[in-house]
Amino acid sequence: MTDTSAHAGERRAWGWLAHLREGGSTSWQDWDGAGVEGGPALPGAQQLELVRRLNAAGRPSPALVDRALTASAPGRGRPDLELVGAAAPSRFGPPPVDPGELSDDELLRVAAALLADDLVAAGVPAPRRPRVVRPWRTRYRLVGDPWLADPLRSELVARGRPPGGRGSVVLVSGTALDKMLEHAWIARAFSVGAPGWREWLDGLARRNRVAPSVDLLHTARTWSDRVGTDRVRIVLDQKAVPGLVGVRRGLPPPPDLAADAVDVARRVANVLGLLVVPPAREALLRETLLPRLREVTGERLAVPPEHAEWVRRRAERMRDGLLRAGYAVVGDPDLLLPRGSSAAATVPSDAGALALAVRLLLDEDRKGGTTR
Amino acid sequence: MSKRILLHVGTPKTGTSYLQDVLFRNQRVLAGAGVLYPADRFDAHFLAALDLMRLPWGGLETEAIGAWDRLAAQVRRHDGTSIVSHEIFATASRSQVGRALESLGAGEGAEVHVVLSVRDLVRQIPAEWQENVKHRSAISYARFLEQIRDPRRESRIATWFWGVQEIPYILQRWGHDLPPEHVHLVTVPPPGGAPEVLWKRFSQAFGLDGMDLDLEAERANPSLGAPETALLRRINRAANSVVDPADYRPLVRELLAHQTLSRRTRSPRLALPPDVHPWAQEVATSWVAEIEERGYDVVGDLADLIGPPPLTPWVDPDHPGEKRVAGAAVDAIRALLQEGSRLRQSEARLGAELDEAHRALERSYLRPTYRLRAKVVRRLQGGRAGRGLLGAYRRARGRSSRSA
Repeated sequence: MTDTSAHAGERRAWGWLAHLREGGSTSWQDWDGAGVEGGPALPGAQQLELVRRLNAAGRPSPALVDRALTASAPGRGRPDLELVGAAAPSRFGPPPVDPGELSDDELLRVAAALLADDLVAAGVPAPRRPRVVRPWRTRYRLVGDPWLADPLRSELVARGRPPGGRGSVVLVSGTALDKMLEHAWIARAFSVGAPGWREWLDGLARRNRVAPSVDLLHTARTWSDRVGTDRVRIVLDQKAVPGLVGVRRGLPPPPDLAADAVDVARRVANVLGLLVVPPAREALLRETLLPRLREVTGERLAVPPEHAEWVRRRAERMRDGLLRAGYAVVGDPDLLLPRGSSAAATVPSDAGALALAVRLLLDEDRKGGTTR
Repeated sequence: MSKRILLHVGTPKTGTSYLQDVLFRNQRVLAGAGVLYPADRFDAHFLAALDLMRLPWGGLETEAIGAWDRLAAQVRRHDGTSIVSHEIFATASRSQVGRALESLGAGEGAEVHVVLSVRDLVRQIPAEWQENVKHRSAISYARFLEQIRDPRRESRIATWFWGVQEIPYILQRWGHDLPPEHVHLVTVPPPGGAPEVLWKRFSQAFGLDGMDLDLEAERANPSLGAPETALLRRINRAANSVVDPADYRPLVRELLAHQTLSRRTRSPRLALPPDVHPWAQEVATSWVAEIEERGYDVVGDLADLIGPPPLTPWVDPDHPGEKRVAGAAVDAIRALLQEGSRLRQSEARLGAELDEAHRALERSYLRPTYRLRAKVVRRLQGGRAGRGLLGAYRRARGRSSRSA
């Protein structure tokens, strides 16, 4: 065999793969060792770089390394790419890349696929057994901001106080509109998946529309058409909820998550949609993934300053519309208005989300997660 | 009987819908000859492809969960020739190809053949842009061309386009572990040729010669002219934010594009701009050289890949003749009015049925026994004890007629 530079490049690549399999974290750029061909083809640059990041952050098992090396990124996007310098340049296919220059977003695509597999393998924890339904309970329905209402409803069901029943009062939960927009995106990330925070929010602002799930005026109107305006309450003071649903013990606040944690969830949700049916996806995200993300520290989401004026206008319109329609409001109607914009808006960062995804993969690997 | 698997993996816009329709409608005849086309609808393998490649597709992916494994199991069980066909398989990564071949039983003695039907880039490029527009895209033709010509290929459009169109790249992934004689290229004949030529080539590649198949075309993916595609793009820009994806497919893609605008066959056709034409032919020439070098089995003529000469005069779909666009728009409005009328008639019919149902319900309410029961319920609801009694009765009855 002639010792051409192409062959030298291939040997270097096989050597790097062996180095990564042994737990090494030297970058491709700095790698100068050599190895022998160990299979029909080298894994893609994204897969190799993800393994390097896993090695740099911990000690992944051989099973996790194998999974990472054979996982293709789901969905549309760049295909598995070749390593620059590993082989003679091909006239066909996308140009080879230095894996160190791949964007975090590219690596996150592969990591999200592995996390989704982990979630499916872990399954949903056994549901909390609800207490016997109390026949004398206060009749209510809890709707509105889904990130506020959903956990409260679940807690009440667990306490033997399911919603509905004759004469139920409809409680439309809400808070400042900027927070509700964050909640709407988070709730979507933990159900059907979502586009990125900015892409999603910019789209709403461009169309001058509030996300339907937190459009309190629309929700209130829908319910008042069914049960009458006198049975609809707009609840802006969350401390009043226990009294309104007839419980003495306090109710848990909604999960407060770091922006990067939500970003990981929405990426995983997008992949999970290809693996399980929608109800199972939501259960895996909210009951299996969410508890793992609660402890994640980091900046919380915030509406960027350039949308502050739009959010304020929409909030005023919502407040005025609710008052004009004559709904009873629990709490100060001005609570709908944003409470001053944060100087520096927080958007999820790809780097932060990737670091978190790597940590979650290693944690699950340590616990002996999927070996698919 | 020896096990043989024919994997038809692309490319789009090469008569694949027609082939899949013929295979689907002739499943019984094929089964008689030991050939399995395991499908419950003509494009059933689309869902399997989405599942294999974990591709979201406007919500359809939910129906695709497990579809690949089910298809692979059917193929593994069949002792004879099996055909799997869908054009989006072309974009599978090497590890997805490995998984596909393994699950089909390639390592267990099955003889695997890959079939790729191919058409010249001169026609494929405008056709792909049109497909983008028919899937809600508002990208201009110029921007589309710019993106696919960018050598970095980082945009979603370029990634997808070359993933499903670059023949040597597709076969690097699908034919990597196969002997070249197991890789078959079916070339689409040049425009203006006899329509049966393509089928003859498919038939030869799939070993269907001599079978008595019904070849009547029921499925086609008709193409649009330049002004019609321009109109559709304008509609996308104006209506994407107000038409849900679930409504877009029947109303815009099917009713407007396929059933209405595609009938305007006298409009100028979409084509490559004169300055892009030589580049496309140059790319195709390099492909032809590579295919010859790799020694694949070619059914047809590799010269077909070079494509026809430039269309003159060329019509720019980004700046179409406004008169023709207006003509297409009038046709579109007429079709939508007809559909609106049909829906109104349907609404009126359903309204009449609902009124009739209400009247029947009222007649039953007027029966003396119902009136007596209603009176008793009203009385009971008037007092605390009565309400308790009613509640107990309802719980004992075992179902709830309570309101929300």
